[in-house]
Amino acid sequence: MISNKRLVLAHFWLAFAVFGVAILLGEWQMFIRSPLHAWLHNPDLYYRSVTAHGTVMGYVFPTLIAMGFGYAITELALDQPLIGRRWAWAGYTMIIIGSIAAVVPVALGLDSVLYTFYPPMIGNAFYYIGVVLVVVGSWIWVALMGINLQAWKRAHPGAPVPLPMFANVAAAYLWGWTAVGAALELLFQILPVALGFSNTINAGLSRVLFSWTLHAIVYFWLMPAYIAFYTIVPRAIGGRLYSDTMARISFVLFLVFSMPIGIHHLFADPQVGSGFKFIHSVFTAMVAVPTLLTVFTIGASVEIAARLRGGKGVFGWLKALPWDNPQMLALAFSFVMLGFGGAGGLINMSYQLDSTIHNTQWVTGHFHLIFGGAIVIMYFAIAYDLWPHLTGRAMRDLSLIRAQLWLWFIGMIVTTFPWHYVGILGMPRRMAYFDYSAPGAAGEAIWVVMSTLGGALLVVSAVLFLVILYRNHSACQVEPAPFTFSKAIHEPVSLPLALNGLGLWVGLMIALTITNYGYPIVQLMGLPDAKVPAVFVGAK
Amino acid sequence: MNAHRPRLISFRNPWFSASVGAISLLFLFSAFVGFVWLPSAQDDALFKGLLNAICSAAGRPGAWLGEAAPAVPPKAPVSSVVLTPGMFDGASAGGSIGRGATLALRCTMCHGARGVSAANTPDLAGQYAASIYKELRDFQSAARTSAIMAPMVVGLSDQDLRDLSAYYAALPRDGGSGERKMQPVPTIVATGAPMRNVAPCESCHGDMATKLGAPWLGLQPRDYLKSQLEAFAHGGRHNDISAQMRNIARNMTPDEINASASYYAGNR
Amino acid sequence: MAQTFSANSHDTAALTARIEKRWAFLMVGIISLLVAVVIFTSLHWAMMPPSRVETINPSTLHLSGEFVESNLGSAVEPDGSITVRVVGQQYSFTPQCIVVPSKTLITFRVTSADVIHGMLITGTNINSMVEPGYISTFKTEFKQPGDHLMPCHEYCGVGHEAMWANVKVVDKDVFSKMALNTRRLTCDF
Repeated sequence: MISNKRLVLAHFWLAFAVFGVAILLGEWQMFIRSPLHAWLHNPDLYYRSVTAHGTVMGYVFPTLIAMGFGYAITELALDQPLIGRRWAWAGYTMIIIGSIAAVVPVALGLDSVLYTFYPPMIGNAFYYIGVVLVVVGSWIWVALMGINLQAWKRAHPGAPVPLPMFANVAAAYLWGWTAVGAALELLFQILPVALGFSNTINAGLSRVLFSWTLHAIVYFWLMPAYIAFYTIVPRAIGGRLYSDTMARISFVLFLVFSMPIGIHHLFADPQVGSGFKFIHSVFTAMVAVPTLLTVFTIGASVEIAARLRGGKGVFGWLKALPWDNPQMLALAFSFVMLGFGGAGGLINMSYQLDSTIHNTQWVTGHFHLIFGGAIVIMYFAIAYDLWPHLTGRAMRDLSLIRAQLWLWFIGMIVTTFPWHYVGILGMPRRMAYFDYSAPGAAGEAIWVVMSTLGGALLVVSAVLFLVILYRNHSACQVEPAPFTFSKAIHEPVSLPLALNGLGLWVGLMIALTITNYGYPIVQLMGLPDAKVPAVFVGAK
Repeated sequence: MNAHRPRLISFRNPWFSASVGAISLLFLFSAFVGFVWLPSAQDDALFKGLLNAICSAAGRPGAWLGEAAPAVPPKAPVSSVVLTPGMFDGASAGGSIGRGATLALRCTMCHGARGVSAANTPDLAGQYAASIYKELRDFQSAARTSAIMAPMVVGLSDQDLRDLSAYYAALPRDGGSGERKMQPVPTIVATGAPMRNVAPCESCHGDMATKLGAPWLGLQPRDYLKSQLEAFAHGGRHNDISAQMRNIARNMTPDEINASASYYAGNR
Repeated sequence: MAQTFSANSHDTAALTARIEKRWAFLMVGIISLLVAVVIFTSLHWAMMPPSRVETINPSTLHLSGEFVESNLGSAVEPDGSITVRVVGQQYSFTPQCIVVPSKTLITFRVTSADVIHGMLITGTNINSMVEPGYISTFKTEFKQPGDHLMPCHEYCGVGHEAMWANVKVVDKDVFSKMALNTRRLTCDF
């Protein structure tokens, strides 16, 4: 039972509202740089749009989803009212203020630095301050998740922490620590220059600090999706979770391995030595392990559901699955996209193959397939599952929901597969326009048009999604059955200390940060020669 | 009681010892491979020997070019101005507008009493200080050649050039940029020609963005703009640092040179 | 329904744990194999991402040192290899057109005069960041003559979309003839 429905709804609605705006920007970007549109007469409009699209989709949208979902999980899984409700609203307010402070100067063209900042390029300070406020607002949530778990543990000594809360707090701690990298970059490198206290900046050090955040943030985006895989989908399709222990192990492995691997984004950089690049490459390979474990556990859980429904045979059980159930559909689509995206990711993280596709459209295709595809489709599924419990009204548009999920899946495949392909051809990303008539670029035109059409499908699907949620608010009132999470085949009776808390794993995460990032950061800090003059965006 | 309670951080806890042990092993293995084994396959001198290999793989800065042919010196003088955002920071470095106004008396013949000229000479009123300063220094060092300007800058000190730059930068621009706004923006100004590496003029000189050292071009004389673009294109003018403007002008067609010069000149 | 699973709770728990342990070992095995492939190629072809850290002041590239304008382009070294020096700046590479011989060891030395840039050469594996304050050094060899595009692949400001350079790979003999007349070669004209 959720007692703070307004809080959760406020987070979800704000998240989906900004998502709705940002997806329009995304499609506009794809359209104006495709052969379907003449070259933009003010290329800066494109870069403003990329900055806004990335800032919203990368920082604001998933953070709000994780927060709203986290507050819901706290009350549903622990069966206690949220401690720190006022603080939660304060965090929410900070995110709103931060987002406005960030987006206004971007719209005015003062901060076309893209959401990856790229110092020594420096824009208006308000953008960076806004991003910092968003992060600080989310840190309030991180603290609240920890406090709520501790309060529950004190009240239930020795009892196993419910899996959803365990995973949720793992996600919170992961975010709390991984955001530190970008925060250090913003507070100690960029803001002093943006506010006029300094004129120089170490671009190489900034990139290393940003990489600390850049990769692990993807796992923070991923966590709500994985929580849904483990704790919502098996229940929704009438099955059982195959293994509670393996689920916990997967989440703690994410906590340990998703952070000390970010230098794989810097394989082509001149300021980091190859030794650290190799270490990060190996640890990046390790972060595939929890995903591969998840594939097994969830696959087995789904099979249980099918067999309970009378499915037979080695593969015949697949037919017995409830394919008309949106949760089933979303899970299947998410796994397919995760499979392709993960395979592409293995190329990105590979020490040698990366150089074929580094910074090309391949990379854009990769993270849209993983995040926009595999992860966001589960955000939809989470919303569909929670909404009746938040509004107290029936969710009846089942066929519309199915159409929406299908459209998102097809749209994402049509958008991202051509991107991967033109990336291999050597098409760089983030350019306001291309000369498709040039020799060497002509072969790309048709693929770019195709991905633009895929983007249009995504826009239709997003609109459909918002309509479905909106319509639910005026549907007939129902008393939904009490919300439950999936039950494991063997519910834990008692758990080893290591799997009933996150202390050990947070400790390992911090230790690996020191071993894998400590030396490169300290060494670059000690290179005064590498401090270079800032270049101010649109400087006069 | 405490002695019997299982402890998390203890090698008696199998979870602790297994996870810490496995991760330590993984780290040591990958460190050995990354810092010792793989560098051994490289033939750079700085990777030879165990200590060198480890330091280089860790990212210790070094001089990575072995024996190389000596650098080729320039045939003609090149600009020696260092452009940084802090170049005018400080009281004297920023220049004195009053002193600059006195010094500017010698410039009025061609550039006008208030930095707005009637002839085919560039307007200086409201020009960026960095741009004026750079060109004056380049005239002094002969990186930019001009029979008229060369004698004018002889004997001026660095402080004089800063004062002049500050003075002209502070003067109001000639009103009339409104006229230019009415004209349609030529393609070359708005979008450039990407495959010929011609960036939009506006990305350095325009309302969209300004690059440090690149001048404001609004309402400069048409013939002046055209002759400078052509001089850059043929290499006659070469005081642009690392050929940044020659790279652009060289790839512009005569029509594009005309169109952009006309656009920035307005009715002049 | 759930009773079917918990009926013999202890046995099934052991069974599920055994199956998933097997899967976990299999997965760790696959990952180890991937890492082994990476190590093998690193040793066998001596392929490695850049590791040659070297700093330089981006504001004074044009004053002295190896990145002065007259020293940019392709240089023939005493050992017959080629060193190509390139400066990236808003919004062009200098030289704009790089000319190199095929089947020859080539060392690139690239740096930026202002913001972060990147470079890739289409149809090859050449791909590097170009950052102010640091020199990117990497070695390569072109198998056959041909023309390639060389876009800047990292956002460097509003003119980024126009930052395209060209690379011409010419036959070794043709290059030698070109190198007779000049000490630093480019195909800028």
